[in-house]
Amino acid sequence: MSQEPLAALMANKAKAVQAIVEEMTSLEDAFHYFLNLTQKQGGRHVAAAGFNSKEFESLRSLCQHESLNLLPPPLRGHAGKIHTAITPVEWGLANTGTLVLNSASEDVRLATMLADTHVALLPVSKIVPDVESIEKDLDDILKTEPATYLAFITGPSRTADIERVLAIGVHGPQALHILIMENDAE
Amino acid sequence: MIKTAQNIKSYKKQLKEALQDKFLGTALNNFNKAYRENRPGVYEGIEFEAIKRDIAQDKDAAIPRLLELFEEFKSHAEEAGVTIHLAKDAHEANQIIARIARDNAVKHIIKSKSMTAEETYLNDHLEKKGFMVTETDLGEWIIQLRHEGPSHMVMPAIHLSRYQVGDLFEKVTHQDLDAEDIDKLVKVARKELRPVFLKADMGISGANFAIADSGSLGLVTNEGNMRLVTTLPRVHVALVGLDKLLPDLKSALKILKLLPRNATGQAITSYVTWIKGANECRNAPQEKKEMHIVFLDNGRLELSKDRVFAEALRCIRCGACANVCPIYSKVGGHKYGHVYIGAIGLILTLFYHGKENDRAIVKNCLNCQACKAVCAVDIDLPFLIKKTLGAVMDEDGRKPIKNQLLSKVMPHRRLFHFLLRQAHLAQKPLARKGPMIRHLPHFFEKQHGFRSLPVIAAKPFRDRWLNMDTGVKSPAYAVSFFAGCAVDFIYPEQAEAMIKLIKTWSVKVMFPESQSCCGLPALMAAEEETAAKLAWQNYEAFQNTASDYILTICASCASHIKHYYPKVASQAGISKTDMAIFVEKVIDFSSFMVNVLNVSAEAFTTGDKKVAYHAPCHLCRGLAVTEEPRKLIEIAGLTYVPSADEEVCCGFGGSYSVDFPEISAEILGQKLDNVIQSNADILVTDCPGCVLQLRGGMHKRDSAMEVKHISEVLSEQLKKC
Repeated sequence: MSQEPLAALMANKAKAVQAIVEEMTSLEDAFHYFLNLTQKQGGRHVAAAGFNSKEFESLRSLCQHESLNLLPPPLRGHAGKIHTAITPVEWGLANTGTLVLNSASEDVRLATMLADTHVALLPVSKIVPDVESIEKDLDDILKTEPATYLAFITGPSRTADIERVLAIGVHGPQALHILIMENDAE
Repeated sequence: MIKTAQNIKSYKKQLKEALQDKFLGTALNNFNKAYRENRPGVYEGIEFEAIKRDIAQDKDAAIPRLLELFEEFKSHAEEAGVTIHLAKDAHEANQIIARIARDNAVKHIIKSKSMTAEETYLNDHLEKKGFMVTETDLGEWIIQLRHEGPSHMVMPAIHLSRYQVGDLFEKVTHQDLDAEDIDKLVKVARKELRPVFLKADMGISGANFAIADSGSLGLVTNEGNMRLVTTLPRVHVALVGLDKLLPDLKSALKILKLLPRNATGQAITSYVTWIKGANECRNAPQEKKEMHIVFLDNGRLELSKDRVFAEALRCIRCGACANVCPIYSKVGGHKYGHVYIGAIGLILTLFYHGKENDRAIVKNCLNCQACKAVCAVDIDLPFLIKKTLGAVMDEDGRKPIKNQLLSKVMPHRRLFHFLLRQAHLAQKPLARKGPMIRHLPHFFEKQHGFRSLPVIAAKPFRDRWLNMDTGVKSPAYAVSFFAGCAVDFIYPEQAEAMIKLIKTWSVKVMFPESQSCCGLPALMAAEEETAAKLAWQNYEAFQNTASDYILTICASCASHIKHYYPKVASQAGISKTDMAIFVEKVIDFSSFMVNVLNVSAEAFTTGDKKVAYHAPCHLCRGLAVTEEPRKLIEIAGLTYVPSADEEVCCGFGGSYSVDFPEISAEILGQKLDNVIQSNADILVTDCPGCVLQLRGGMHKRDSAMEVKHISEVLSEQLKKC
């Protein structure tokens, strides 16, 4: 089944809630995008969580090359420093433009919560129509994991607490970039 | 802190002050309007009615077994390393949380938004015990700094302007701020609170769902503060009302479909977080979070056993009942609730914060049904508000004069009607010859002068009926007419017009003379015994007439009969089926004309008059009749011109307009402004109560616009044979 219409819906819905959506063909491209973005914003310290050691190492050498500091895990010691963070996500829910992340790892949580900008890698194959499509998977996680922190993230953090005027970027990330990864990109 | 009026006199003083707050009035009015206008778009492709009933069923199944669900939750959560507590009341919950803080050597506490913590006044308790507590939700932080309670369940600081927030933040930061720029104000909170997050030892959150079969919590948020509150500190305490317990994830996901849409008009909030067990936490001993969940009873278990009020436990705290309430939009949440505000607040206050705090506010309801229509869990809020009013009066053990009179007079039709006839004589000197009372008697205070009042008719409909020619050869339909007090005694001409009109379509009309008041005014005053007696009397009155329909020209009577009579049938030994047959026959005028008689344009002359329409609450929401009156206006050769907010209440609400004249006047004023802007020649509606309010308001403004019952304009448009 073609994922194209789902990916398009996912992108539209996410853009409607102020996320930035791009398509990437390789992990390396995604890392470059991430580092360029950080440099454009004048950031210096970046964080990555949820990657295997090979991926993490390749990002680290790219960072060195660009004179950016990839904060070493655990991130708790650098909580005040994270400018940009990159993480993979488990699923995308197309009908609301929502990312689903299993954030049981503290580093995944700190990276996605404390960064000014969060860059999320979403494999196109992991885009599903709606939350009901993964209800069984979520239920299994909640029932079988000894502890879990499942996050649905839809756009950057926001508030309308002052005069109901929408303002983006309160306590969570001020920008959310979703990089939709082609199937063989992993 | 929260100072809710404990009696009606001081309440009215507070209301007066609130009505003078121009920023509040404009802000909440815009909010109310924007919310209603955005709603259809927000719900596109979502079957609101079906899902809300589904959720209500789930909730109704969960409510009687809250303790069972609690035990199930507890076993799973404990297995996952969480300590579970059950607090019987607010004080115990606060003590438990303070003890957890002390046992873990906590100094700084950060909080994310929790109405349940507002309910228990948790901050006050923790501060008294010497802990530093910081609210981190932007709105909650603002009201904490101002030492106020929330004025809305979802947007706690909606009563404040950017300038008020700017002034406050200048004091906090000791810097000059450009209050015009809301983005910058928001960034102040980000900057000021980030270090507080990082140094806090304990985080306190609420929860939207407690899922029994996995022992996990679900939290629905936007700002990202809750995620930090539950992640950064080494201790996490969640304070959760027992009513948040659900059997499984499936039922939570159903609620998630409506909660953000109803609350903030979002398909989903920025963050929805599912937390189970003691998660990894590198600054805690053994790198595991010290996690506690405190479930709060505070009257919920008792409420869950109440046949009538258990329904209130369905509430998911979306705040929509305030968003659409015409009264909330005039006076704001600090004057429309205690801790919980809006329609649900008027109910829950009695159970969670006592009758003293509910005594005055619970009277402030128009019964316009707007809250009921938007409720995501199908709570019959206006009905429960009246039930709550009754419960408060019972607890107080004394009844206002209005109630004493109602219960003495209304069940005795002859006495009641005799008094109404006397009223005509009594007001003669005040009325001179016109249809309006020229001067209000001096015992009315000046705030009642916002509209002119009609005189009681010299000859009520029931007397005129005796001389009416109602003969019809080979009738197409036989209908019994239910007049209602306003038509019978104030506007008999509306009934005459209607009868003359339908005769043209060979409808035989009968008028059972022993019919009385429908009972709605008694129910509004929480005189349930009287309301029930009137229901039984009217049921009896219509038993001997063989009619196809029971026709009304009063939307309030029709809606009340249809919804309330079945509730009290069994007490009088009337079978469910018999009552169902009776109420099924009740039909409003417009539906009868359009759907039964199928009247067509040929019967009417064409005119060039433009007609604005006011939709009575009890017609458009009470009976869900919306298209027929507008169609009928067009069929009758008139031009219907839409005006803004047609389905918003006119502010009448029966005796509401006498009890709260200033609010009624505000709501009416806005309604009339909208109608006048439509450039219509006539304002038409189909409820005599609305006619009274609207015509009185137009008269007071010396406006040339006529206000008519739809039966009157139709009869004028009928072609002369």
